[in-house]
Amino acid sequence: MSGPEVMPAPPTGSERHRITFATSRTLAYLSVLELGKVWERTLRRGRVPLKYSQGFNPRPRMHFAAPLPVGCGCEAELLDLSLNEPRTSQALRDAIAGVTPQNLVVLDVTAVDIHARSLSDLLQETEYSVWLRQVSEAELVEAVTIFLEKEEILMPKRGRKYRGKFYDLRPLVKSLSLDPAAPSPWLGLHMRVMARPGATGRPDELLRALGLADHPRRSSRTRLILESE
Amino acid sequence: MSIDTTHPTQRIGATHGSGSLPEIGPVAWERIEALLHRVIKPGRYVGGEYNSVQKAWDATDLHICLAFPDLYDLGMSNFALMILYDVLNRQPDLLAHRTYLPAPDMIAAMREAELPLYALESYQPVSAFDILAISTAYEQLYTNSLELMDLAGIPLRSTNRDVTAPLVIGGGHGTFNAEPIADFFDVFVIGEAEDVILELTGTFQRTRHTSRDEQLRALAQIPGLYVPQFYTPVYAVGGGISDLTVADPTLPTTIEKRLMPTLPATPVAQLVPNINTVHNRAMIEIHRGCTRGCRFCQAGAITRPIRERPVDEIVASAEDVLQQTGYEELALLSLSSADYTGIDTLIRGLIDTFEGRHVSISLPSLRIDSFSVELAEMLSGGRHSGFTFAPEAGSDALRHRINKDISTETLLSVAEEVFTRGWRTIKLYFMIGLPAETDEDMEAIIDLSHQVRRIGNRIGGRKTEVHVSVSTFVPKPDTVFQWEPLVDEETVERRQQILKRGIRGRGFKLSWNAYPVTKLEALLTRGDRRLGVLVERAWQLGARFDAWDEWCNQDAWNQAIAELPSEELRATFPSAQALLDHQLYRRRQPDERLPWDHLQTGVEKRFLLQDYRRSLSGELLTDCREECHACGILQHYRDLETEEWRCPVLR
Repeated sequence: MSGPEVMPAPPTGSERHRITFATSRTLAYLSVLELGKVWERTLRRGRVPLKYSQGFNPRPRMHFAAPLPVGCGCEAELLDLSLNEPRTSQALRDAIAGVTPQNLVVLDVTAVDIHARSLSDLLQETEYSVWLRQVSEAELVEAVTIFLEKEEILMPKRGRKYRGKFYDLRPLVKSLSLDPAAPSPWLGLHMRVMARPGATGRPDELLRALGLADHPRRSSRTRLILESE
Repeated sequence: MSIDTTHPTQRIGATHGSGSLPEIGPVAWERIEALLHRVIKPGRYVGGEYNSVQKAWDATDLHICLAFPDLYDLGMSNFALMILYDVLNRQPDLLAHRTYLPAPDMIAAMREAELPLYALESYQPVSAFDILAISTAYEQLYTNSLELMDLAGIPLRSTNRDVTAPLVIGGGHGTFNAEPIADFFDVFVIGEAEDVILELTGTFQRTRHTSRDEQLRALAQIPGLYVPQFYTPVYAVGGGISDLTVADPTLPTTIEKRLMPTLPATPVAQLVPNINTVHNRAMIEIHRGCTRGCRFCQAGAITRPIRERPVDEIVASAEDVLQQTGYEELALLSLSSADYTGIDTLIRGLIDTFEGRHVSISLPSLRIDSFSVELAEMLSGGRHSGFTFAPEAGSDALRHRINKDISTETLLSVAEEVFTRGWRTIKLYFMIGLPAETDEDMEAIIDLSHQVRRIGNRIGGRKTEVHVSVSTFVPKPDTVFQWEPLVDEETVERRQQILKRGIRGRGFKLSWNAYPVTKLEALLTRGDRRLGVLVERAWQLGARFDAWDEWCNQDAWNQAIAELPSEELRATFPSAQALLDHQLYRRRQPDERLPWDHLQTGVEKRFLLQDYRRSLSGELLTDCREECHACGILQHYRDLETEEWRCPVLR
C-alpha cells in the first residue's frame, strides 16, 4: 500500500458498462423479467451503484439486447448497465464475483460510451443451438431439408388479439443446419434467425414448424449479432 | 395410480447409513429436463436459488426434507419453513433440503415418466431422506400432503411405514386439530417447531437403528411432539368422543404446545427465488402473537404470548438480510403491525437506514386508526394503491360480539383520512355467518360500504373504488367460538344475495367465498379422526389443490362424503347428512370432549368459555397488553417468560 493520498483520485471508469454472460440449467427457465430480477439482485448484493429511473416506481437502468425465451440458456448474452457513479470494468467484475447465483457466469465486462446506441437497436440476428432427443438423425435431416426448400411457412400469430392471423416464418430464418457438436444421445440443430422489431424468429416456433415441438430439448442462445459486426 | 412399487430409483431395504445396500442417488438432471418443455413455469422445478444450501449429502448424518404441499410460488414465501431451513442447516451434521408439490401438469408428466418427487437442492428423491417434514399450516393442504407422499413413493398411512420410509412429521397451525390427518403422519409438532426440531432430530439419530415403533415411543416422550398412533379416541353411542386412550402409561395424556421464550434469530441468508413468487421479498418477523383477542381468530389464540423483537435487532437484521439477498423489498411480519410497541421508531429507523437505496418496506395487517394511516403514509413513497380495512362485521353490536373494538364512526373518519391523503381504493374485509348474525347485519355491511364509497366520491371523485371482500366464518378450534355450528348453506346464499343486490354499481367490487369451499375447510378443521378415511378417499377420487378454484375437485369430495367410506363411519352415521350434522352443524356442548382437546395451546377452555359468555352479552374484552385476562398462557409458561414478552406484570 502507498501512503495516504494527498488529492482525491479523479473519477476513473465509466457510468455505462456492457456485461457478457452465460446461463444454463436452473437459469434457463426464466422469463426475461425474472432474469432481469436475478441480475438486479446480483448487482445489489455486489453493492454496484445502479442508476434508477425517476418516478413512483424507479427501475434500475439495465437493458438486455433481446428477451431470452423461457427454457433457453445463453452463451454470450449482453446486458447494458447504467451506474450512478463511474466504475472501472474490473471493479464491476470484482463486485459481482462471489454473489452470482448458480449457473450464471460473467464472461466479460467492458465500458461503453454513455451515448452509445442501445443493444436492442443494434441487434440484427441471433443464433441458437438446440439439442433434441427422441428423434433420429434421418428424421431431423428430412425435416430440415423440407423446411429449407419451402418459400413460405405460415405460422399462427401468438396472442389472443391475433387469433386467426398468420405470419411467414421462412424469411426470418437465415440458416438452419444440423449441429455435429451435440453429444450422444442428443442431436443438435444450429439456427440463425432475424431479431429486429416486428421480425423476430423464435426457436420454439421453428421447432413447431419442424414438427419437433414435443421433443425433449436443451436450448441455448449462442450468439447475438449486432449491427457493427 | 400409485408409483411406490414400480419406481426404479426408489430406495429399498437399508436404513440410511448402514451401507449394506448401495445408495441409488439423485434423480438425473436429464430426466427432469426432459419434462420441462411441456409444463407451465418450469423454473419451479429446478432449484438453484441464491442462498440455497450446498452441503454434501454423504458428509452429513441426517437428511431432512422440508415440504410445502402446494406450489413452489406459495411455499417459497412460507416463513416458518425458512426458519427451520436455517435452524437445521446451521447444524454441521444435519442437512435440510426443500420440496414443493408440483402443479398438476408437472405431476402428470412426472407420473408418466415414473419420476419420483425430488428435493430441489440435490435432486435426491424425497424417499431417500430420513425425515420428511410437511407443512400442515391450513386445511386445504391435507389432500396435497397425500399427493406429495404418493408422488414421493412413500406409503400414505403411518402404520404402513417402517424405518425404510422417511419419518413423516407435520407442523403448523393445522396441527392444533391434527385428527382428520392423524392416520398419515408419524409425528405432529404442536406449537413452534423451531423450539423442538433439534430435540426431534437428536432423538431420531439416537434411535435410528431401532424399529420405527421404538423410535416413535422415544419421540413421543418429547414435550410438544404428538404421535397420534399412541392415542386412540373412544366414541360414545351418539357419535361424540367419550375418551382418549393412551397406549403407554409413560406418555402424557395431553400435549402442550412448544413456544420460543425469545423469538428465533432472523434467517439472514434468505432464499432468493429465480422465478417470480407470491411474496418475493425479504422477511423479518417483528413480533409473534396478538393481544387483541378477536374471538373468531385462531392465529391470535394459538400464537400467544405476545413476543416483540427489539428495534435495534430488527434494523441490524434488515441491513444484513438485504445485503445477503439483494432484495429490494422488506416485509415486516406480524399479526398486527401497528401494535408493535416501537413501531414508529422502527419505521423511522428503517427509512433512515435505507434512504436512497431503493428499498421498499411493507407492513401488513394495519389497524383502522389514524396512527396506522400515518405509518402507511411514511412507507408509501408517494404511491397510494390500496388501503385495507378489516372491520369483519357491519354493525357496532356485532363487532362487539366478536371483540373487534372499532366503531363505525371511527372507521368512517379513518376512511376520510385515507382518501384525503391520496389513496384511491379502500378494501373492506367482512365475514358473514358469524354467531348471532341476522339478515339485518347484511344491511349494515351494505350501509357501511356505501358510506365509505360516498366519502371516496366526495374526496377523490369517480376514480376512487371500494372493494368489498366477504368470507364465510368458520368456527375454528381453540377459539372462543369453537363450540359454534357452521352457518348453513341456505343462509349463506341468501345473505350473499342480499349483499350482491346492495353492493353494486360504479366504484364497487364485491367478492365472496363459494360455500362448498367453506364447508370443506370447516369439516377438516373441526372434524375428528374418523375423517381420515374421507380425506384419503377424496384424494383417491382426485381431490387435491382444494384451495385452487381451477383445480379443486368438489365432486370428489361430495362422492367421498356420500360413500361414508369406512365401517366405523357407516356404523355411527346413518347418512352423509348425519355425518355433516354431527361434525359441522350442531352446537357443541360446553362439557363435551372436543376432538382437539388433548392438543393444548396454553389458552384454557375455562377462559374460552368465560369469553364466550361475554360475547353473548356483547361485552368487549380489553387488549391484554393492558390487563391480563388470565387466558392461561402465563400460568402454563411462566418459567419461559423473557423481556420480549409483553404480557402485563401480574400482581
